[in-house]
Amino acid sequence: MNSLALTLLILPMTGSLLAFILGKIDKRYAFWSAEFLGLALFLITLKLYSSYSEPIDIAFTWFTLGSLSIPFGIYIDELSLVMLLIATGLGFLDIHFAHDYMADDPHQPRYYAKVLFFIGGMILLVSAKDMVSLFMGWEFMGLASYLLISFWHQQKAPADAGVSAFLFTRFGDIFLFAAIGMLFYLTGTLDLMSLNSMATAGDIDKDMMYLVAVFIFIAAIGKSGQFPLFPWLMRAMEGPTTVSALIHGATMVNSGIYIVARLFDFYVAAEALLVVAAFGAISAFIGATSALVQSELKKVLAYSTMSHLSLAFIGLGAGSLAAGMTHLVNHALFKALLFLGAGAIIMSASHVKDMWRFGGYSKKMLFVSIAMAFGALSLSGIPPFSGFYSKDAIIATTLLNSETSGLISSLTLIAGVLSVAYISRLWLLTFAGENRDSELFAKVKKPSFFWITLPLLVMAFATFAMGFMQEGIIEMVSGSVAEEEHVNGLLFGLLSAIALLAIIVYYYYVKRLDITKKIASQPLMKAIHKLLFNGYFVEFFIHYFVKNVVVGSFAKTIHWIDKNIVDATVNGSKEFARVVKGYLMKTHSGQTSDNSGTMILGVLLLLVAVLVGGVL
Amino acid sequence: MSAIEIIFFPFVLALGLSLFFRGESNVSKFAALGLFSYMLSFSLSLFEQLPEEGYLLLGEFLKVERFDFVLRLQVDMLSTIMLTLTSVLLILVALSSWSMKNQALYFSLLIMFSGAIFGLFMSTNLLWFFIFWELTLVPMYFLVGVWGAERRIFAAVKFFLYTHFASMLILVAFFLIYKESGAFDFTLVRESMLLSPVLIWWLLFIGFAVKMPIFPFHTWLPDAHVQAPAPISVLLAGVLLKMGAYAMIRLVILLLPETSQQYAWVILTLGLITMFYAAFMAIYETHLKKMVAYSSISHMGLVVIAISTMSYAGLSAALYEMIGHAFIIAPLFLIAGFFHHKTGSWEMRDMGGIMQKAPYISAIFVLAGLGALGLPGTMGFVGELSILISAVKSFGLWMIVVALGSMLGAGYIIWTLRRVIYGEMSEVVKATNFKMNMMEFLALAIFALFIILFGIMPNTLFEYINPAFSQFSSLGGAL
Repeated sequence: MNSLALTLLILPMTGSLLAFILGKIDKRYAFWSAEFLGLALFLITLKLYSSYSEPIDIAFTWFTLGSLSIPFGIYIDELSLVMLLIATGLGFLDIHFAHDYMADDPHQPRYYAKVLFFIGGMILLVSAKDMVSLFMGWEFMGLASYLLISFWHQQKAPADAGVSAFLFTRFGDIFLFAAIGMLFYLTGTLDLMSLNSMATAGDIDKDMMYLVAVFIFIAAIGKSGQFPLFPWLMRAMEGPTTVSALIHGATMVNSGIYIVARLFDFYVAAEALLVVAAFGAISAFIGATSALVQSELKKVLAYSTMSHLSLAFIGLGAGSLAAGMTHLVNHALFKALLFLGAGAIIMSASHVKDMWRFGGYSKKMLFVSIAMAFGALSLSGIPPFSGFYSKDAIIATTLLNSETSGLISSLTLIAGVLSVAYISRLWLLTFAGENRDSELFAKVKKPSFFWITLPLLVMAFATFAMGFMQEGIIEMVSGSVAEEEHVNGLLFGLLSAIALLAIIVYYYYVKRLDITKKIASQPLMKAIHKLLFNGYFVEFFIHYFVKNVVVGSFAKTIHWIDKNIVDATVNGSKEFARVVKGYLMKTHSGQTSDNSGTMILGVLLLLVAVLVGGVL
Repeated sequence: MSAIEIIFFPFVLALGLSLFFRGESNVSKFAALGLFSYMLSFSLSLFEQLPEEGYLLLGEFLKVERFDFVLRLQVDMLSTIMLTLTSVLLILVALSSWSMKNQALYFSLLIMFSGAIFGLFMSTNLLWFFIFWELTLVPMYFLVGVWGAERRIFAAVKFFLYTHFASMLILVAFFLIYKESGAFDFTLVRESMLLSPVLIWWLLFIGFAVKMPIFPFHTWLPDAHVQAPAPISVLLAGVLLKMGAYAMIRLVILLLPETSQQYAWVILTLGLITMFYAAFMAIYETHLKKMVAYSSISHMGLVVIAISTMSYAGLSAALYEMIGHAFIIAPLFLIAGFFHHKTGSWEMRDMGGIMQKAPYISAIFVLAGLGALGLPGTMGFVGELSILISAVKSFGLWMIVVALGSMLGAGYIIWTLRRVIYGEMSEVVKATNFKMNMMEFLALAIFALFIILFGIMPNTLFEYINPAFSQFSSLGGAL
């Protein structure tokens, strides 16, 4: 098993290089080697899963620093396996889908190399035994995300989006980096399992533990696109849709939740879960409301991702590892499905992303519309689809936990119910009604069945089937089947709210679009629309702060000091030397250079110093 | 060749080459390359001969009655590592200077520099240490002053005077040491012999701080870097700055441990200021090479922090970061110089979209940039992690502020990449042909390989680095 686990780690990295080199010979080789490697990785993971009996535990010393040894280890338990299945399974489907999506791109070797590198990073993250290997995986993914967002780097928007993604997530990452230092100082170990058990046993100072937990959570916020570090996730939609589906919908953005889940006992002992739930609730609300008004297909999904990841955070924050993690798993699957579905639409519609120019597309791509409907139903939380169970469990948990019932549970409830509104708006605007841009509509091509529709149908089936496997997932992620959290009347209330919202959306966005437009032109509505459309101006504020305070004031002041004080003193000493030289020259004839003038100064200084030394 | 020959042969060779050849000269190029390769194999062979602890005596020359002027050549693990690093850098600098103008003279100066630097790292007599220390300045002065850009004379003179002024302080300190302890050989001097260790400490500290450079003595470096040709910038950052760091470790920390302990807070504070100050300078900078220069100073700040811990782990981390810094900053300087050479501008706004024209060179630039901001998988990360851990161990939890430095690093590096490498092509870039000499590209590729190789397998270096400071492992309780 150990060798299999190591293969899983090494294969994507070497494969990445291989795909690039082969792709340089013929660009089709890049795809085929990636497809083959993706499948191999998935099969290895399945093999690990099927023959799982006890956690795989491998520890190395990465390097010795003086007398300290810095560890590097692999630890694969059931929680890791779930994440591995998501990463490799969806990774494989995504690579498969990219065959058509990236078909016209001249830079395919680079694309597949980066995707494989990303999968490698994700595998490293979820099979990390200690903080160091975890951080490595964490940063590898961040790098791959940066490189893939700005894949079309010759254009301005993707290049800017890459910068934004890197800097926002990096801001979080340095807290994780600092946490490594803190943990090393506080506990002397970086092993995640030992940290959990030490925390539970109360061997670590509680206040410090809280601080570490908050630091790690800041990193999680950055990576999972939560308030206030979410704007990069919206900009990341500039990347290829296959990248959005894999990295910014299904895998990398989950890593924030994974890290909290991995250190769950630590968070419980540090009593830091309420912070997680609170930030989750704010993000869930912001995400769900902003998703309501977006006009770009992918932006709706991006805000929805933010909102659903928040739900998973809330689940963890309310104290239920099972609820949070099952939601993560369910979400990964249906969000990858929705993103890839969006990719199929965008690709067929000459890369237009604006939903207002779609409409009636189910006539052109029936299977895609059906698959996306499955995803939408699951996202809305309608039984028996998978999304229902986890979302219901999360809301129930928040209501039952005395700390989170009230504001947090209300925000969760609103976010949970609103999801039906934005996703049905998305589906209806795209697939139902009349087409609103006949020119574009005429050009829409039917996507290929094997490369595009088949992976979507596979995911749609899996989303449906997962609804019946919830207990199995809960057992895997939390080790035991928890008692069903139950709140009377919740199910009925939720379902009626969902039905009502769906009907409203149908009426206003399909039947009476004219009324919607009239309402939207009201000043108040316009103002609200602007607020939501821009994600509550969070990006605007952060950008303003960095541009005007960090760079415009702070860095500028230091620059001024350097030029006018520190360096001016040095350059000014030349004048001083010139004056001294002027006196000295009176005693000498002939020319002396600046150089020797200072030489003399030096010798004088030397004499003085020796005299002083002699006196001392 | 014996140790003494390897120091003085380069001077003879340099003289011969500069007398017999003019202008373009393949002989000079290959002579330099051959000599540096020999130096590398010589340094590597030293590793096998080194004793478990202490010095390996390579020879004693110029014994004079009644005066300690003996040229005693001794090496230990620390100096052998420095010799190896220097010879690797010299080889790569020679490769990346392949299409330099007036090669005969250029490579003669480079060869002369190599002799001086080998003498510096091998001699344990402070007088000879000082002589070689000053000798490195001479070829450097001409390399900047002749092959530099428009304001090269100003930069060369500023560089020479500033570091020369610092040398005076060092010389005074050396004489004080001799006066008080009766020996010039620093392996024979103990702190307890000295009457005024505090004065000596300050003289040495300021003297070496100029070379490293540490705030507020850093302003000669950006000027020198900007005016120097790219390979000489590599030499400045990779060898000359490391001389300062080496001397700081050898003659401040190891020679005067008690006083250093007393003033560790001074070193630490200045290290932190240097790191943040230079990082903010880099953020505000739009001049590509100045940005790289400030990034280099910022990383030297990290080295200073690591040195100030005065612990086994900290000094090992410092030495690793010194090596990492040399390999990471070198391709940044070389490629920045290459872009300038091709586009004719240093301003980032004149560049943009170079990735489309020169994908492989740009990829190495990105890789080195990622190294500079400390991304895992590169040497930069290992350096930063080691320094973070050792600093936190020595000074307590608040040292996690070091992590903030890598955020600022990400700020200036990523934004620079965006402006220079990515985005739409500027008019200048569109009209430019980015073709590089094969030898120069080879040097870049080797740097890139080192950054990744030692970033993934740092233990190959730490196996040698740790024993360099093994005397600290015996101190009970210390790290």
